Amino acid sequence: MSAPGITEPTEVITRARAGDAEAWGELYREFAPAIFRFCRRALPTREDAEDATMEIFMKLRGKLGQYDMTRSFSAWLYKVAANHCWDTLRRRKTRQDKETEDLENVPLEHPDPNQLDQLIDQRTSEEVRKALEKLGARARMALVMRYYSDMSYDEIADALGVRRAFVGVVLLRARHELRQALEGSAALAAGGAS
Amino acid sequence: MSEMPKEKMQHLDEMTCLLYIERQLDRTRGLEVSAHTQECDSCRTLLRALERESRLLTRAMLEAEEPLPSRLAQFQERARKSMQWIWGLVFGLAATGAYALYTGYIYPWQQQLEQAGFGGSNLLGLLIFQGAFWKGWQSMITLLEVLAMVTLAGLGAIFFRRRMRRGSALAMVFAGFCTLLALPAPAAATEFRKGDNVEVSKSETIKGDVYITCGRGHVDGTIDGDLYFFGESLDVNGHVTGDVIVFSKSARINGEVDGNVRAFNNNLTITGTVGRNVMAFDESLNIDSSAKIGRSLTSFVESLSVDGSVGRDALLFFAHANLAGKIDGEVRARGDSLVIGSTAVIGGPVKYKGNKQAVVSPSAKLASPVEFTQLEKRREYRHGNYYVWQVIWAAAFILFGLVLFALMPKFAEDAVKSAEQYGAAAGLGVLVLFGVPIAAVIACITVVGLFIGISTLFLWYASLYFAQVIVGAVVGQWLMGRTSELWPLIGRMAVGLVIVRLCTTIPHVGGWVKFAAILWGIGAISLALYRRFQPVIAPGTPSAPFTPPLPPHTTVGGTMPA
Repeated sequence: MSAPGITEPTEVITRARAGDAEAWGELYREFAPAIFRFCRRALPTREDAEDATMEIFMKLRGKLGQYDMTRSFSAWLYKVAANHCWDTLRRRKTRQDKETEDLENVPLEHPDPNQLDQLIDQRTSEEVRKALEKLGARARMALVMRYYSDMSYDEIADALGVRRAFVGVVLLRARHELRQALEGSAALAAGGAS
Repeated sequence: MSEMPKEKMQHLDEMTCLLYIERQLDRTRGLEVSAHTQECDSCRTLLRALERESRLLTRAMLEAEEPLPSRLAQFQERARKSMQWIWGLVFGLAATGAYALYTGYIYPWQQQLEQAGFGGSNLLGLLIFQGAFWKGWQSMITLLEVLAMVTLAGLGAIFFRRRMRRGSALAMVFAGFCTLLALPAPAAATEFRKGDNVEVSKSETIKGDVYITCGRGHVDGTIDGDLYFFGESLDVNGHVTGDVIVFSKSARINGEVDGNVRAFNNNLTITGTVGRNVMAFDESLNIDSSAKIGRSLTSFVESLSVDGSVGRDALLFFAHANLAGKIDGEVRARGDSLVIGSTAVIGGPVKYKGNKQAVVSPSAKLASPVEFTQLEKRREYRHGNYYVWQVIWAAAFILFGLVLFALMPKFAEDAVKSAEQYGAAAGLGVLVLFGVPIAAVIACITVVGLFIGISTLFLWYASLYFAQVIVGAVVGQWLMGRTSELWPLIGRMAVGLVIVRLCTTIPHVGGWVKFAAILWGIGAISLALYRRFQPVIAPGTPSAPFTPPLPPHTTVGGTMPA
């Protein structure tokens, strides 16, 4: 698992682990934009994302020795970032207890696929990003972990502290929330136009 | 399923469709879904829509619609600087350790050798005290000042950044500008002087503070401000209206200082006048009979002689002190031996804590008899000196560990890994800690084994110290994470060692902590040695590449059928 466009800089990581400041700089330059974007999607404000990015890299510096070189660096990096962002959100108590209860009710309906198709056709990336900002912390975090950093269900379960079997439910509920937000913005846009 | 009419066919729920496209269904269920979607248009469309939704999400999130903020673009530099304090600390401790080794071991040996006729050209002394050592000070001080400023600014920025958002930060900046504009311009500028010899001549008057970094400094004129001196020696024969802060090998205050004198020297002699207080951290401090100190005297010295006058109280820490002058206030003294001479006049009470009773001349004029308290020898942790020496010892340990880790990186790494096998390390530790010296002594008794016995004892003694270094590295790894690289391991060792040494200073418990650390560490070293001497099985034919077992949720789903 690695984010698109990111290659594994094994040699640079080895040098950074040995304390080479230049190698550390290279790692930072290569991964900071991706991690900032990850935090930007996961956290409510730009300032939060900036702070989190810096904290993640500070943390990373201490943890680099723990990284298993046989595995994907970007996957490990995203795992650190996801844990950090989720901890930040949890500390702010933005997670709602209601969300945990909802997990027990698995959505089993079959939506109208044409309506969903139409909704996807009409929405731009920017609208999706704006809709994402309106989601609850866990829903947003789950979508970002899955569709931005391509994390596995096990990793998502681990980061969010839910059972693996519920990850699909979290993701599906997050998609529902997103669709509602997209439909809401469309209704607003339509209302504004009329 | 195919014989069922399409309108009556039961559709897949959305959850199943999502798990299918995410490859999370088990093999059987995946095949069922695949077969169903070949028949069912609605479910096939739903799968396609969900996939398109996934792609839309990924695309929307991956798009870099905003550039990396400049704060982040420059962060790596700041991150690098913020780590420098650790290396600064390690360097400082190592330097202190070197100093401790020199003063504790090398210098006394050198002295003994000289007394025994092996003196001759004393190269080390020549290098350190004949001027060469002091010549580079000015550039060193500038570098240290800059480093200190950068570190302080960095720490300050980190501290405030965490507490301020942009709005409040801007308000702070504007308020700062306004305050600066409102403040009057400073009346006098600060002057910096450097060189081998720096002189402020008799006719010269400097307005404002002066920083002097040089070999030898002479102040014969007037400084209308504070004097900061870093160098080999300083003579103040003129007049300083402010304070004198001096770091040097020797200093003499023959002239007049209106403010305070704060001195960190080998030798400080005061023959002139100090208007306010004197605080000295010296090897020897002499307050001459002509000297006058307007207020109090505070000293942390080895040898103290007070023949002049002190206007107020005196707080004195020393090894040996001789009071023969006039002290108007109270004297609180702590040291090894105190002599109060016949010419001494002390206006307040004298409270002395020491190892021996004070020797007081019958002619001395004291307001009240000396109150003597015998120091409890075993409670050495109550002394400030004890903690200073603990710091110095920690530094010496770091230096020792650094050398050993650099010389034997593989063995050090093995020993640290062995220390994590707590049971084996502790058990072997008990055996080696007590068994080896007994065996060595037995070897010494037999004439043939004398060399082996002494060598073993020597190695055993050295390993007591190395054991603590190993434990320090383990503690450092607990705190900062595991590493197999040399320099990060040394960094962890330094941090861990400081913590271990701190724990050993805890009254009553510290001794046991030290014992446990030695036991544990020596066991780890022994375990690493034991493994090193074990025969290694020759590698045979290469094994087949490792294939991980399939996870419980074996995935067979995937792209939807065409």
